[in-house]
Amino acid sequence: MSYDQSRIRNFCIIAHIDHGKSTLADRILERTGVMKQRDMTDQVLDSMELERERGITIKSKAVRMPYVAKDGKEYILNLIDTPGHVDFTYEVSRALAACEGAILVVDASQGIEAQTLANVYMALEHDLEILPVINKIDLPSAQPEVVKQEIEDEIGLDCEGCPLVSAKQGIGIDDVLEDIVKNVPAPADDADAPLQALIFDSYYDNYRGAISSVRLKAGSVKVGDRIRMMAGNREFEVTEVGAYLPLGYSPKDSLNAGEVGYIAASIKDIADIRVGDTITLADNPAAEPLPGYKPVLPMVYCGIYPADGADYESLRDALEKLRLNDAALSYEPETSVALGYGFRCGFLGLLHMEIIQERLEREFDLDLVTTAPSVVYKVVKTDGETVFIDNPTNLPPVQEIDWMEEPMVDAQVITPQDYVGAIMELCQDKRGTFKDMKYIEGGRVLLKYDMPLNEVIYDFFDQLKSRTRGYASFDYELKGYARSDLVKLDMLLNGEQCDALSIIVHKDRAYPRGRSIAEKLKDAIPRQLFEIPIQAAIGGKVIARETVKALRKDVLAKCYGGDISRKKKLLEKQKEGKKRMRQVGSVAVPSEAFMAVLKMD
Amino acid sequence: MKPLSLYIHVPFCRSKCAYCDFASFPGREGEWGRYFEALWGEMEGWRDELSDREVATVFFGGGTPTLVDAGYIEETLARARRIWPFAPDAEITLEGNPGTLTPQKLAVYGRAGVNRLSMGAQSFDDGLLQSLGRIHTAAQIGEAVRMARGAGFSNINLDLMYALPGQTMAQWRDTLEAALGLGVPHISAYSLIVEEGTPMAARVARGEAVVPDDDAVNALQREAVSRLAAAGLARYEISNYARPGFECRHNLVYWNRGDYLGLGCAAHSLVDGTRFSNPATLDGYLSGARRLDQQRLTAADAMEETLMLSTRTTRGLDLAAWSAAFGAPFERGREAALAKLAAGGFIEISDGFLRLTPRGMQVQDAVVLELMEADE
Repeated sequence: MSYDQSRIRNFCIIAHIDHGKSTLADRILERTGVMKQRDMTDQVLDSMELERERGITIKSKAVRMPYVAKDGKEYILNLIDTPGHVDFTYEVSRALAACEGAILVVDASQGIEAQTLANVYMALEHDLEILPVINKIDLPSAQPEVVKQEIEDEIGLDCEGCPLVSAKQGIGIDDVLEDIVKNVPAPADDADAPLQALIFDSYYDNYRGAISSVRLKAGSVKVGDRIRMMAGNREFEVTEVGAYLPLGYSPKDSLNAGEVGYIAASIKDIADIRVGDTITLADNPAAEPLPGYKPVLPMVYCGIYPADGADYESLRDALEKLRLNDAALSYEPETSVALGYGFRCGFLGLLHMEIIQERLEREFDLDLVTTAPSVVYKVVKTDGETVFIDNPTNLPPVQEIDWMEEPMVDAQVITPQDYVGAIMELCQDKRGTFKDMKYIEGGRVLLKYDMPLNEVIYDFFDQLKSRTRGYASFDYELKGYARSDLVKLDMLLNGEQCDALSIIVHKDRAYPRGRSIAEKLKDAIPRQLFEIPIQAAIGGKVIARETVKALRKDVLAKCYGGDISRKKKLLEKQKEGKKRMRQVGSVAVPSEAFMAVLKMD
Repeated sequence: MKPLSLYIHVPFCRSKCAYCDFASFPGREGEWGRYFEALWGEMEGWRDELSDREVATVFFGGGTPTLVDAGYIEETLARARRIWPFAPDAEITLEGNPGTLTPQKLAVYGRAGVNRLSMGAQSFDDGLLQSLGRIHTAAQIGEAVRMARGAGFSNINLDLMYALPGQTMAQWRDTLEAALGLGVPHISAYSLIVEEGTPMAARVARGEAVVPDDDAVNALQREAVSRLAAAGLARYEISNYARPGFECRHNLVYWNRGDYLGLGCAAHSLVDGTRFSNPATLDGYLSGARRLDQQRLTAADAMEETLMLSTRTTRGLDLAAWSAAFGAPFERGREAALAKLAAGGFIEISDGFLRLTPRGMQVQDAVVLELMEADE
């Protein structure tokens, strides 16, 4: 089909987690024939094993689908998949910027949820045409009319004639496709202007190098063109352009304004492609980049160390490989007295951190020791210098600190009314400042708090889940820094400070945290030949103390009949166990102990 | 001629004790003959390979070697003597159960050359004996010892157990007194180990049996050390006590890493720097498999073994012998660990030996672990 912008529809699907986004995407792929039914695995777009297991989308992808509509004309539908988690908000926002329309999937029984609203607001910010779709109408608990009313009342979207579907059963898929053709605006981009291609995703391909997923907002690009990354300010020669198939590439001669596809240019380092950046032509550059680019800044840091020091190189290689596909992951070598050689890694959020840790262990078969996550603190020193600290160990001495600031977030919780009390108590506990409370449809309440990020990364999700039996949903956005009374809490084992266990904490929380960590460590550290005092201290002042009692008895009574194999095996096992422990002064500390800092109660 | 020790396993029992996970197979009386034929065949097979050896000690262990017809024991020793010369003072121990001894059997043992008896007394409390699944009573222990004396045996050991579920300090004292009252020159006192898969483990798991905590066990063990010492039986290994000159030479071979050949099912051997073992089950052994898990010991293995075995004894680790055998002083690269352990009262070094203190012996595994690796 020749290039005709009026026949292009660029859209994405937005939904609260579990409302059936991926299943609907699968049905659309199937219905348009780009995927044959026999090729379908569940949730084609979620190709990473981990994504499928967790039912979440981690990276965005795009697929081009030809579709002959009921009007007899052939259209090109570009489905841009977006990540579904708050950690990846920036990537979602870039993917939305590549579209003209968004399908809003709402579960016919659940109705609007926290992320539904968050996504809608984001889509509205990008001036997208929002097409509501009520999903899971096959469920006995489905109340499509109620949900439609809810959408009209709360979001103000017209739900007259909106498709009622069951993605699972394949009901109503045609209606969705016709809806897209009719109601998603065609792009209206200037094909003759200088090239402006928005990068909304990037990843690494072993044969093509680092690849940009792009939406052309102006101009065109073809093989052999010299392109420039406008924010990155680097130039490359285009080796391939094309469109995406569900499971591969469809190279084309050129990409033109309004189209979605990929650009390969033998780029070796994924870091040269920044999501949100604009690609233009080196010899005919656009005057301005497209708006909205911001560098991705990690919000959460933690130390990752190999459980066996000998695996340091493997860990570095693994991080390098993951980094190829994940520009948001950062890592720097660091050393810890307790843990040896490892890396300080930066993540977009807690989920991102968990995913990376899990992928390292699963895909690279590594045994890891991770330290408690930390946010980035701003420290203003008495000499006027401002430093940012992502590792508590690097905090300057108290006397050099004038004041400290910590990152704050706008936190938003949507909960059934019954749990409002419990959530307010939790947010209070977490040093939250109440901002707003709003009653919304269906007996639910929207709560807004200002909260320190360091409280959010410490056990907040688990607490929220357990206190609301999983009914509340949570969303947050970085707001900025606020001055705060923070202290460094150190843990001493047998009188020696263990750097990997230090945390930065609000002064008022230091005492209970210190006591709780000391208790956790007491349980995690096995008895040894000598008694081990565990102390929590601020500055030089001990605020909590526990003791691991000395080992009383550890001996195999009998080596029977000259069979020493058992004794040997036992010793081998103990030796192995000892190897997996970290030596802090004279104390052997098992890997799990370093995670003790993470858990509350 | 190099000395050789023989361990001969007799894997038969009348019934299985509640705590036992040794290679013993009750209810296989019909196979005694077949088993000993196989064992004799195995022994014969060593004739050429292990010539030029003199047998220094023999130990019949089990199972219950006193259960089978005494003729098997006699014949086994007779055949051994046809293969190897025996040292004139060879120590020949037979392990047995007090309930299975008879004057007739004892007469045969004596005639065959057995000169040491080791009896699984375990306790002098009939309630505890019953809960352990032993087939004998406290009274039978006394009878057995007197019977053995009558048959000319004076070198007698009694095995005792502590850390039993429900065992009180008073019961343990009574057991020690009763054992000493019989005037035996050697006592082994083992702390019960609850082995996986035994009825005892199931009882503990169900909460029907409660094993004493570490401090209580240590108290029982210290009681044994002091009471037995007062009676003239000095501790010479973690679990073994003897009057001077009555230490079990066979067991000392294990701890000093002398050569020993294990014959029969589940028997382990160390011969010329190689360890190997026979199949653990009776059927496996009868099927003819032999010398499994052969391991040629490296210098590192030998060091590890020397450390973990010698420190079980009160004689300790011979530092000069270590240097001579391994080419470097034991202390090198272990200075910090040794200083720490000495300061903590776990070890002492004197007269060229490294020894564990009584406190160190309670945590021997952990002490050994600290000393296992020397820093470069």
